[in-house]
Amino acid sequence: MLMPKKVAHRKHHRGRTRGTAKGSTQVNFGEYGIQAVEPGWITSRQIEAARIAMTRHVKRGGKVWINVFPDKPVTAKPAETRMGSGKGNPEHWVAVVKPGRILFELAYPDEVIARGALNRAIQKLPIKARIVTREDGFDG
Amino acid sequence: MEQTVVKASSNRKLGSATSRRLRREGQLPGVLYGLGKDPVNVQVTYTELRDALKTDAGLNTVFHLSVDGVDDLVLVKEVQRHPVRREVIHVDFLRIDATQTLSVDIPIHMVGEAEEALNAGLLVDQILFSLTVECSPTAIPDSLEADISILTGDRNVMVGDIKLPAGVVTSVDPEDPVVSTVVPRALVEEVVEGEEVEGEEAVAEGEGEESAEGDDAGDGGGDQE
Repeated sequence: MLMPKKVAHRKHHRGRTRGTAKGSTQVNFGEYGIQAVEPGWITSRQIEAARIAMTRHVKRGGKVWINVFPDKPVTAKPAETRMGSGKGNPEHWVAVVKPGRILFELAYPDEVIARGALNRAIQKLPIKARIVTREDGFDG
Repeated sequence: MEQTVVKASSNRKLGSATSRRLRREGQLPGVLYGLGKDPVNVQVTYTELRDALKTDAGLNTVFHLSVDGVDDLVLVKEVQRHPVRREVIHVDFLRIDATQTLSVDIPIHMVGEAEEALNAGLLVDQILFSLTVECSPTAIPDSLEADISILTGDRNVMVGDIKLPAGVVTSVDPEDPVVSTVVPRALVEEVVEGEEVEGEEAVAEGEGEESAEGDDAGDGGGDQE
């Protein structure tokens, strides 16, 4: 699963997710992409599950790009622990996603199979997302 | 040379709120610059601009922009889109001189059938989707064609393989790949498994050694599956 090799700070604040994505809003590498339409946190497990769902559907053909990286640690306290005693331990890693962000890209010759693969990947994500294609012309 | 004229006015107010109001009224904010003249903030009618760009050349269409009665030969330099709704929210117009060469990005389309590559079980992968070329405004090609019939496992389609029309040159390295082939991972694993089986048989005959299995763990971006 994706996670940073080393970090400056082991524990982060949760923060707020406001506004829309400022970059990576267009399909740049493949022909199809998955675009987030609402903000959220995507865990490294969800990214991996989506990747596997996609690659299995295209029967390991095609080419997949993952455009998000889970670089934010999420902490949790153990079950049945009294409050206090500081912040919990890092449990997993998430990628902070804003609306408009292209999460995955796929290059595959057959559009029907490619869309099927992307739909399966979307099912693994905790946010609403949609399939987009490479923009061409004024009207997209 | 296209004689389409798009009318624009320069008296628009700046700011996000007024720009939003303009878009609601069917206008599109933009900016006109180039040829050493001062930049001018303009507004154009969305449908008028969309119709002007409905040619085979698409965004590379050369047309006249009439700002308060002053005509300029222009090209759309950049289009900004809303990240979620994907509608056009701002346009940059570049003034051009009909006598000078300019640099434009031309889309590349694949033509032909890569029979040899497909018969070998390979996938066709387009790497370069547009090529930056230098040409005069009257000679801008609508699109470029990459013939993929020459594609094999060892032979990619390079920038040098693309036939450029007369008067069009590119400064991109001719050895840069445009279309290549990808060996599907399923095909790679079949080959590896076949080799492993042969290896195991050899080991059984010669006694002893263990064979190591490949790790199937996925990695990050640019993953070839």
